[in-house]
Amino acid sequence: MPSVGIISNPASGKDIRRLVAYATVFGNNEKVNLIKRVLLGLDALGVQRVYFMPEYFGFYHRVIESLSGQHRPALEARMLDMPIEANQSDSRRAAALMASVGVKCIITFGGDGTNRVVAQGAGEVPLLPISTGTNNVFPVMVEGTVAGLAAGLLATGAVRPEQALVRAKKLVIYINGRPVDSALVDAVVLTDQFIGSRAVWDTDKIKQVVVTRGATTNIGIASVAGGIRHISPEEPLGMEIVMGDADAPLQVKAAIGPGLIKKVPVTRHKLLESGQRVTVLEKPCVIALDGEREIQVNRGDRAEVELSLEGPFVVDIDRTLSTAAAGGAFLDKK
Amino acid sequence: MALTKEEMLAMYEKMLLIREFEETVANVFSQGQIPGFVHLYVGEEAVAVGVCSNLGVKDYIASTHRGHGHGIARGASVNKMMAEIFGKIDGYCKGKGGSMHIADVELGFLGANGIVGAGLPLATGAAFANNYLKNNGVAVCFFGDGASNRATFHEALNLASIWKLPVVFVCENNMYGISMSQKVHQNITDVSDRATAYGIPGLTVDGNDLMAVYEASAEAVKRARAGEGPTLLECKTYRHRGHFEGDACVYRCEDELNQWKKKCPIERFAARLLEMSLAEQDELNVIKEQVKEQIKGALEFARQSPLPDVTELTKDVYCD
Repeated sequence: MPSVGIISNPASGKDIRRLVAYATVFGNNEKVNLIKRVLLGLDALGVQRVYFMPEYFGFYHRVIESLSGQHRPALEARMLDMPIEANQSDSRRAAALMASVGVKCIITFGGDGTNRVVAQGAGEVPLLPISTGTNNVFPVMVEGTVAGLAAGLLATGAVRPEQALVRAKKLVIYINGRPVDSALVDAVVLTDQFIGSRAVWDTDKIKQVVVTRGATTNIGIASVAGGIRHISPEEPLGMEIVMGDADAPLQVKAAIGPGLIKKVPVTRHKLLESGQRVTVLEKPCVIALDGEREIQVNRGDRAEVELSLEGPFVVDIDRTLSTAAAGGAFLDKK
Repeated sequence: MALTKEEMLAMYEKMLLIREFEETVANVFSQGQIPGFVHLYVGEEAVAVGVCSNLGVKDYIASTHRGHGHGIARGASVNKMMAEIFGKIDGYCKGKGGSMHIADVELGFLGANGIVGAGLPLATGAAFANNYLKNNGVAVCFFGDGASNRATFHEALNLASIWKLPVVFVCENNMYGISMSQKVHQNITDVSDRATAYGIPGLTVDGNDLMAVYEASAEAVKRARAGEGPTLLECKTYRHRGHFEGDACVYRCEDELNQWKKKCPIERFAARLLEMSLAEQDELNVIKEQVKEQIKGALEFARQSPLPDVTELTKDVYCD
């Protein structure tokens, strides 16, 4: 039975970046509308079952109740039976559960941070990441209906995985030789001592950066790398950047947040290859992963960041839809 | 955010002082030693301390029926607060107000308030005054998720936004309006969503994380002082005790309470101070002991203070 998972983060789009930058406000009721359109896209292509992650806002109930009228889909919607802890571990556990019941794709609604933890639980199950967060490099801004169609084409087998999917890169964080976490876009070493409000906006505190990609079209720290050298999501390279002070030999103008364009001083930078590890130079410190402060590194710890080419599989929406169209999937000739 | 060790330890001490004060009040209330109702702030200490640590002498705060924590965080005298709760002459209202009327205008503490949502227009008015006087002061209003359904919330946010007043609206979302779960009293889970309707920034933080509250309120206060207008800051938190002392709490389960106790803001902050070698356990123990002594002293002060004479009954109530 073709099935798909839905993981929507009720906390995305509400953090301090609405104060320190000009970040989008993305209310949960708008996410409900977006999920409804995704469901209708999935339904139109014959997906038969959808699993929702339970969370405190109740997307499952709100979506199903509001689709009970004339646009009621034929697919069956279920909520995963799992306890809610109201933190990011919910998304990780939900992704793992969805993988275990055999979903063909997990559609995420959140930002880079949401996708980071979903990828940790999803294993080989591909993600279709829809942006509803703040510094979004990994998920894409896409109309929900179109995203639902793309996920439906993959889930029903109308488009084969090798035609629909690309493999993302990731960064693995090691503390004292043990892998403790991962990131999809960037790991940023900060002089902070607390995770606090999580976001990163004060460039004076950034000491070192490792990225899997970089483009000047990105928002966030990946834009610093992009200003030095474009690294596409498919290129098997990453970059380490060591920050400096006002006298640093290179100043990179970068959009480090929505509406927040700063000159970032760079002392040195180098490209990274798969498997290459970078030692964290500053201790004690906090490491932010995909835009959110996550790991507190104490004075006596050894912290490293490794580039891996074995990140999550991701649905390429354009390629999936164009492949399907070329094969006549949208035609019904009489 | 560049806090010194001394500043961090002072914040830790303030949270402990609130906790010890509240647990002492709970104890004497259960023994029938104090009159009236009390609503305790145990579990929510990081909000009051995180926010008030960003305020200066020209700033105001308006509080709620659960106001002891806000008063202590603003620097109110625990002796006078305890005496007031005991109904004694040395209390903030000379024993005539009780828990829900403790105020200290000298400190910019516009008072606890027995009416849900009544602090919102008060703080907005105080912000208007600061703006009018051009003294660079801000006002902060603490209120709960239940109060965000009151007309005062909407009127205050509307006025504050249209006049760009220097006010920070701090919603202490503890998930219950008295005994009613937020799930059944509003169709949103994040009160910060309501900021959009008034064209002001709204954000949600972990209200049990002192540094998250401190950072967010620092930015909101900075914004207010810069003339950029109000902010709606929602802090997700939980009260460990009932709505009031004596509340049987039949509307929530033990497991939920225990989960939140694991997120105790004081223990979390202490653990981080130790991990980062910002403090030694011995130092924290000394602070704990000092706080215990201070509250013991407040209790003794309240007990020793006389009851008001009957001639005091109408004093300070009516204007001449």
